Amino acid sequence: MKVVTGVVGNDIHVVANRLIELSLHARGFEVFNLGVNTYLEEFFDAVVETGAEVLLISSLNGEAEGWSREVKLLKAKYKNLDSLIMMIGGNLAVGSGKAEDIVPKYKNYGFDLVCHQVDLNAGLDSLEAFISDRENKESNK
Amino acid sequence: MSLLQEEREIILGNEYVDTFDFAEVAEFVSNAGKDLFISHHFKTSNKMLVQPRGGFPTYKKQFALYEFFVDANVDVLPLTIDSNTRLNDYATAKKMLRLSEDNEMDMLNGYPLVNHGYRTTRKMMTHFNKPVSLRHGTPDARLLVETAIASGIFEIEGGPITYLLPYSKNFPLDKAFLYWKYVERVCANYSKLNEPINRESFGPLTATLVPPAITIVIQLLEMLLSLEEGVKSFSVSFSQTGSMNQDIVVGAVIKKLAKQYAEEIDCSDAAIHLVYHQWMGAFPTNKDFAEQLINMSTVIASMVGADKIITKTREEASGIPTKEANAKTVANTQYTLGILNGLPNIVDEQEEEILTLEVNAIMEAVFNDPADTLWRKVFNSIKNGIIDVPFSPHIINHNEMITIRDANKNIRIISKGNVPIPDHCYAYERGQCDLNKDTTSIVNDIIHDIGIMQ
Repeated sequence: MKVVTGVVGNDIHVVANRLIELSLHARGFEVFNLGVNTYLEEFFDAVVETGAEVLLISSLNGEAEGWSREVKLLKAKYKNLDSLIMMIGGNLAVGSGKAEDIVPKYKNYGFDLVCHQVDLNAGLDSLEAFISDRENKESNK
Repeated sequence: MSLLQEEREIILGNEYVDTFDFAEVAEFVSNAGKDLFISHHFKTSNKMLVQPRGGFPTYKKQFALYEFFVDANVDVLPLTIDSNTRLNDYATAKKMLRLSEDNEMDMLNGYPLVNHGYRTTRKMMTHFNKPVSLRHGTPDARLLVETAIASGIFEIEGGPITYLLPYSKNFPLDKAFLYWKYVERVCANYSKLNEPINRESFGPLTATLVPPAITIVIQLLEMLLSLEEGVKSFSVSFSQTGSMNQDIVVGAVIKKLAKQYAEEIDCSDAAIHLVYHQWMGAFPTNKDFAEQLINMSTVIASMVGADKIITKTREEASGIPTKEANAKTVANTQYTLGILNGLPNIVDEQEEEILTLEVNAIMEAVFNDPADTLWRKVFNSIKNGIIDVPFSPHIINHNEMITIRDANKNIRIISKGNVPIPDHCYAYERGQCDLNKDTTSIVNDIIHDIGIMQ
């Protein structure tokens, strides 16, 4: 399964981005890593170009909050992205924030999976669970 | 008029420069006191030189910082440049400097040297009469370096690789090589007038599990790029690895190979020095622990036989340090150096041999690139992954090399990507690590290995 990943905005925190790439790869995903300092358009362009089924955006400095507001609007400009699995993780608030406030907010922005300060492996476990759950539903149809 | 001089006149015709008087600057450099030249101190001093880091936006605060450093018995003063100037955004630097001057609040993370200008800055440098080191991170440092030398700053840190791969995602690497070629030539030309201008490479790179072979190769290549333009005094550097033995091995190998590779291009007349950076990774937030770490770094620098040590402060984990904390490290480091006597001579021949073979193999691959000049060979080698820097954010970097720490905390290569590590060296590196773990546990180990000092 193909995944596009990267760090959104003017964030150059590269260490976790590289570890996400390694971990996804270890779990058998085909990874297209756009690296740090990536804008929303670049993510969606890459999804179209690669035919990825998952988009995993990360953020450490918290500026994802500002960018994510535009996700739905931007995604609507592209065709055939309805079944794209949208995931976001990292530190999703500038300063401190509670997961119970942050998760619903990002779901509202259009993300299927939201991991605020969640351990990397726990986050990827949830992605895999989400994928197999969806596959089960498809096959039961 | 030479092409270089034509380029200089364009660079210095910048609207933020208040008429650059080439003849007057040459006159100043020719007659400058020897004490301003770190190359002179390297020649005459028999102790390790101590240099902190530090830069404030205003002249007044920078001056006050230097007074603290001098009281703490500093050997080399730093001039750290703000991030706007590093990106050649002199307009923003100018605005932020004015705001800092008007509001008693620092709006820049360093000294905007171009905006202050050389006439003003030179007053401060000649007042303290100490060697000053320019610390920045600028891919295009042409104007900055001209201004620095005209100000009496006779050591220039950086290089096309070490100031680009750790700091930038997409600044074109080929342009950086050409901009740094200009810097080398200007340094080489001024070096003919008095004591040599010292160039220093930035060995820490990303300071995140960079294997010694990559560090040394990049140090040697930046040294060669500098010497081939006529620079006569150069410092190679590296930062604390996390293993004392590995630090000692790196020190021994880099000293030996720097001399050897300089000789191979008939530059044995150039003086080569070794600089050691105290721990450059994440620091403990406990300030007392931070001081212990700093002290340990100083001991290792002595074991390594460094010519200069660059210090951190107890406030590293919390942001830009106060001048008091910064000066305290200088005084403490000088004290530790003064009482460190009777150091044992440790040699690990096996580790030295492995590392030497790795470095030579990578260097050979770089030299074998078919391009016609050294900088193009290096550019191609980075592009095709012969040189691969772990955790570089730059798009040109291959990101295929994977490193972890072994039981003694030595950094080891477990996945070499396109880097031509000889087979038995690679087997040795991997043999030191537990590779039976699954990748998930290895990723957890990497996270732990990055933060070992916290």
